[in-house]
Amino acid sequence: MTGGRYRHLFSPLRVGPITVANRVVFSAHLTNYAVDGLPSEQHAAYYAARAAGGVGLVITEEHSTHPTDWPYEKLIHGFQRDVIPGYRRITEAVHAHGVPIVAQLNHNGGQSSGMYSRLPVWAPSPVPDPMFREVPKEVDHAEIAEIVAGYARVAGHCAEGGFDGVELQCSHSSIVRGFLSPATNRRTDRYGGSLENRARILLEIIDAVRAAIGTERALGVRLCGDELIEGGTTIDEAVEVARMVEATGQVDYINTSIGVATSTLYMIEASMAIPPGYALFIANAIRRAVRLPVVGVGRIKDPVQAERALAEGHCDLVGVVRGQIADPDFMAKARAGYATEIRTCLSCNQECVGRMGLNRWLGCIENPRTGHEAVPLPPPGPRPKRVLVVGGGPAGLQAASTAARRGHQVTLFERAATTGGQVAVAASVPGRAEFLDLVRNLLAECRRHGVDIRTGTEVTAARLREEAPDEVVLATGARPQPPHWAGGLDRVVDVRDVLEGRAAPSGGVLVVDDLGFHQATSVAELLADRGCRVRVSTSGMVVGQDLGVTLDLEMFTVRARNKGIRQTTDEVVLSATAEATGGGVVLQVLTHTTGAMAEVRADWVVCAVHQEPEDELWHALKGAPFPVHRAGDCLTPRRAHAAVIEGDRVGAAL
Amino acid sequence: MLTDPIVLAGRTAPSRVLFGPHETNLARRREVSHRHVAYYERRAAGGAGLIVTETASVEAGDRPYERAPLATDCGPGWAAIIAACRPHRAIVLAGLGHAGSQGSSAYSQSALWAPSRVPDVVSRELPMEMEEAEIGRLVDGFAAAAALAVRSDLDGVEVDAGQHSLLRQFLSGLTNLRTDSYGSDRALLARQVLGAVRDAIGPDRILGLRLSCDELAPWAGITPEQAAGLARDLGSLADYLVVVRGSAMGTSATRPDLHTEPGFNIELCRSIRSAVDGAGHVVLQGSVVDPAQAQRALEDGVADLVEMTRAQIADPDLVSLWRAGEGSRIRPCVLSNQKCRVRDNRNPLVSCISEPRSGHETQDPAVGGLDEHALEVLVVGGGPAGMEAARTLALRGHRVRLVERSSRLGGALRSAALVGGRARLAELADWLEAEIRRLGVTVETGVTATPEDLGASVVLATGAVPGPREYRIADGAHVLDVVELLTAVENGGLDDLPQGPVVVFDPVGDPVGVGIAELLAGHGRRTAIVTQDTVVGTQLALTGDLADANTRLRRAGVTLHKNALLREACAGRVVLEDRFTGEQREEPAALLVHCGHRLPDRTLALARPGSARAGDCVAPRTVHEAVLEGRRAALAIGAAQAPVGEAVR
Repeated sequence: MTGGRYRHLFSPLRVGPITVANRVVFSAHLTNYAVDGLPSEQHAAYYAARAAGGVGLVITEEHSTHPTDWPYEKLIHGFQRDVIPGYRRITEAVHAHGVPIVAQLNHNGGQSSGMYSRLPVWAPSPVPDPMFREVPKEVDHAEIAEIVAGYARVAGHCAEGGFDGVELQCSHSSIVRGFLSPATNRRTDRYGGSLENRARILLEIIDAVRAAIGTERALGVRLCGDELIEGGTTIDEAVEVARMVEATGQVDYINTSIGVATSTLYMIEASMAIPPGYALFIANAIRRAVRLPVVGVGRIKDPVQAERALAEGHCDLVGVVRGQIADPDFMAKARAGYATEIRTCLSCNQECVGRMGLNRWLGCIENPRTGHEAVPLPPPGPRPKRVLVVGGGPAGLQAASTAARRGHQVTLFERAATTGGQVAVAASVPGRAEFLDLVRNLLAECRRHGVDIRTGTEVTAARLREEAPDEVVLATGARPQPPHWAGGLDRVVDVRDVLEGRAAPSGGVLVVDDLGFHQATSVAELLADRGCRVRVSTSGMVVGQDLGVTLDLEMFTVRARNKGIRQTTDEVVLSATAEATGGGVVLQVLTHTTGAMAEVRADWVVCAVHQEPEDELWHALKGAPFPVHRAGDCLTPRRAHAAVIEGDRVGAAL
Repeated sequence: MLTDPIVLAGRTAPSRVLFGPHETNLARRREVSHRHVAYYERRAAGGAGLIVTETASVEAGDRPYERAPLATDCGPGWAAIIAACRPHRAIVLAGLGHAGSQGSSAYSQSALWAPSRVPDVVSRELPMEMEEAEIGRLVDGFAAAAALAVRSDLDGVEVDAGQHSLLRQFLSGLTNLRTDSYGSDRALLARQVLGAVRDAIGPDRILGLRLSCDELAPWAGITPEQAAGLARDLGSLADYLVVVRGSAMGTSATRPDLHTEPGFNIELCRSIRSAVDGAGHVVLQGSVVDPAQAQRALEDGVADLVEMTRAQIADPDLVSLWRAGEGSRIRPCVLSNQKCRVRDNRNPLVSCISEPRSGHETQDPAVGGLDEHALEVLVVGGGPAGMEAARTLALRGHRVRLVERSSRLGGALRSAALVGGRARLAELADWLEAEIRRLGVTVETGVTATPEDLGASVVLATGAVPGPREYRIADGAHVLDVVELLTAVENGGLDDLPQGPVVVFDPVGDPVGVGIAELLAGHGRRTAIVTQDTVVGTQLALTGDLADANTRLRRAGVTLHKNALLREACAGRVVLEDRFTGEQREEPAALLVHCGHRLPDRTLALARPGSARAGDCVAPRTVHEAVLEGRRAALAIGAAQAPVGEAVR
């Protein structure tokens, strides 16, 4: 299939000694699947699933090249020989699908701490990393030689472990990046100063690694095109380094990136706030300067975008990471002409990036299998059951989809005219539209597996008992609950009242953020866009604090400043009363850190607070002659990932 | 007294000192590991009377942190611990608990359990309200876990109704809003659990209860007055009662850092003990790190036993040294929480700033023992790295000369102790100094070593120098390094510095910048602190002081400039830039105090490459790394190997 819609995407390409069947790369990314520094069965199953789904090339997460490099707990210690059996398990699992696999090698340099290694951190210069904040030890020439030898040693382990090549990480978080970047390399010896000097260690590593892997394996180099930091590497130097790399004659491809993992991560793993393809300019610039194949990256989330990046000549290969975390069959579906069936990534960053940053295993908000590929699914039950699902939000849709996929006969009832529940509401605000893909994808799965979806249908306990189903799943969601201080005032409303059109605040609005996520910040932006003067108040130290883990906080802060949204912290609302004249609300607000009380006036108050479950059916069905399960907010209101996971768990256990 | 035995449920503990349950992250998956075994054995060998192991969850859905032990996975590990500790006569109990709404759903990926749908203050996650089925599973889980502990030959169990516990959440009006019998009688569940556990373990095993007796939230929480009743009610079901304080409000309450006075629960414990009136033994808990204070508490009738957990992390031999009348040799716990408070997503292993072998008993060699050949060793630098190197070398039989450029020992540790609220750090410097003098190290202060002084065996621990200032400094600007400021404060010279507002530049976010701001505000200076972060003092999250530090700063009237980059220091003002918008503004500043990262003092190292180095002169970090590397350098010299801190290959 080389013609048609994805003419470029499905054309094979020689990358040095290996040939890829198509142009999509599952680029290197952390997974936290390592156990005791070794690659795990989960690694093998995870990569194999993407290979089975038809990706052109897999590049694994980084393998550490030296004991001084241990920035996060679950790092693969490639410098230990006992990684090799785990490497073989990975490469055999991927090769079984005819897909080549490359290992990424790295030393994180100063972007690390001694927390795990109990050793000084190594770097070109004693410049502390902005995130780890530990002053590194400036490496001497013997240590540089040791670093170079470490790369060669681990490259040898990879060759022995069956990898088709290795990629040198020289971007994101890397001692090579540290040497290349004027921001972190302050040396005055032959490894500092001129670009030629700063690139010296890279060229030494290329020599050593090529010698270690021979000519039968591919060697790639991943370069950062713009570090987005003061005094850092920018595109002109990156292009120059790419030329130097090509001139060695020993490298087979160049991968690209943007940002520094420990200071501008929000531009590396961009959320939906950043447009797709935002980093392709780097691949483009490098591709124009070298003949080597170049990989372009940056929130490419569907095959059409990928095809366009190739067709427009930005790159020769396209990195699709989150797109394949969400759907391992991304390429298979594109190839078969079912691209609309792809479970497209939302770029919400909640369960992939968000979990990574917290030292947890990599997951996905809409793919409950991600992170559990090595755990076999339970066998389907002996007979298909008649299952009724109540509620068409993410929990209900996922429960229905999973149950139907496992052969059950499923009917889903949704009270409203459309499915989607609160996801549809959350996606209705500026900049959050892609979140709605969660519903689109779930609906597509339900349809594919033959779920009978009946919208506009409210069911009662009596109706469910009449139906006499084999099992019932309740996914009836939650409803807003006014906070204890709301005083029954009409102008104290919930975020959902605003987003669902029941309230239209105007004038001065106080948004109270008790949840620390998108609810408050979304409604604040929406109302500011409508001309309101908005202040967001939180009892915590940061408004929307959990946006930090999804990498949305930086861009929200910028937008909030532009929209004139004020943010105040450490505040607890104690009471709200109606203003004597003017129709507004007067709040007693305690600054809990100082004990200071203040009176705050607002025309409207919008509450981003916890909801209460809609669990009437759960109570009404106590003692029913069929099993009743709960999933999602009707158990207790939480975020979308909990709804999807519980829906899947309930659906699988029927 | 403190070292006297005590009998509980017919079992004799060799001393009245308890090593309490605490997070270690030493578990392997959710099992007790061999590192746990070595960790507890070391405390048993040092004379601990009772050891309560890290709290194990009684229900698989409860996983408050990734390496939280799960009781059903702990049988073999518990058996190994008791086998290791019983030869030292220590009593070992299994800590059992359930964190309820204070847990995490990140690993279980299931809803948290709670008496009512009240979100935790920190995580803000809404738990599910437990129904009869879940309550039944919880009680059964406690009973099954207790039965397993006994089958594993432990001496009993301790049930957690302390700061992080579901049982406390049931006891408290803050979190229990139920209208059923578990709400009308909030102690019902705790009684059921204690009853089921007693049935499971029988009368001749020990049942302890850890109870929050003051939730520090009098509007709805457990107050000391209510706790007296609870202690009578529940304490009678247990053999001992540990009096703790804290709830989800005020996260630093149970194990606060050095800002809170040691023994902060003494009055609370005294009142609970008098309420219990001899019905059971009462244990004092709460930053008790000085055996003299513990001894006094026993003599005064405050308690029957004393929990000294952090003190025994710092010195596992605390009890045996005290028993031998060598209390001054006990390595002090300074309550920094820097390495022993490990509730952090990164899963750091429990350790100690001044005893780095803690938590690493299976990896690090013991310091004691004589080396084969006694050497003459020169240690350059009398900070923590140099003193620990000298101490270790002298312990191992070497003849050690330590030279220090300044007039006194302690180095950066002395400066750090001058930072607001951190005076206790000086105790560690005092102890190191006393030890090296006791061990006969030749100490020469006011002596600057030159390259010619460096003989065959040398350890360089020359510390750090001020780091670069990456902002413009205009004529007339007063910029002071943090150490210069502290020296001025110590010498009473603060008033000699330019009068007017002070700006503290803190790009690090550790205890120094915050403490300097507090110190200056405490001297009546108008003070502002500048950070590039969204929150001031971000690195204090690990020690548990983040929220408290921000509260102290606000109360002291310190202006917080967040998301701010320092661009220029001028006469009388500084120029700040918003990190997101690039907007610039000016802030009055008669004085700018620079609290940035430092650089190694490499003068001697460059003159003698390849010399053993330790601490800040390798890379300026904290006292923990200084002690660790000082010790490693010393051990390596004794073993005639390359020093480990410098040359692990």
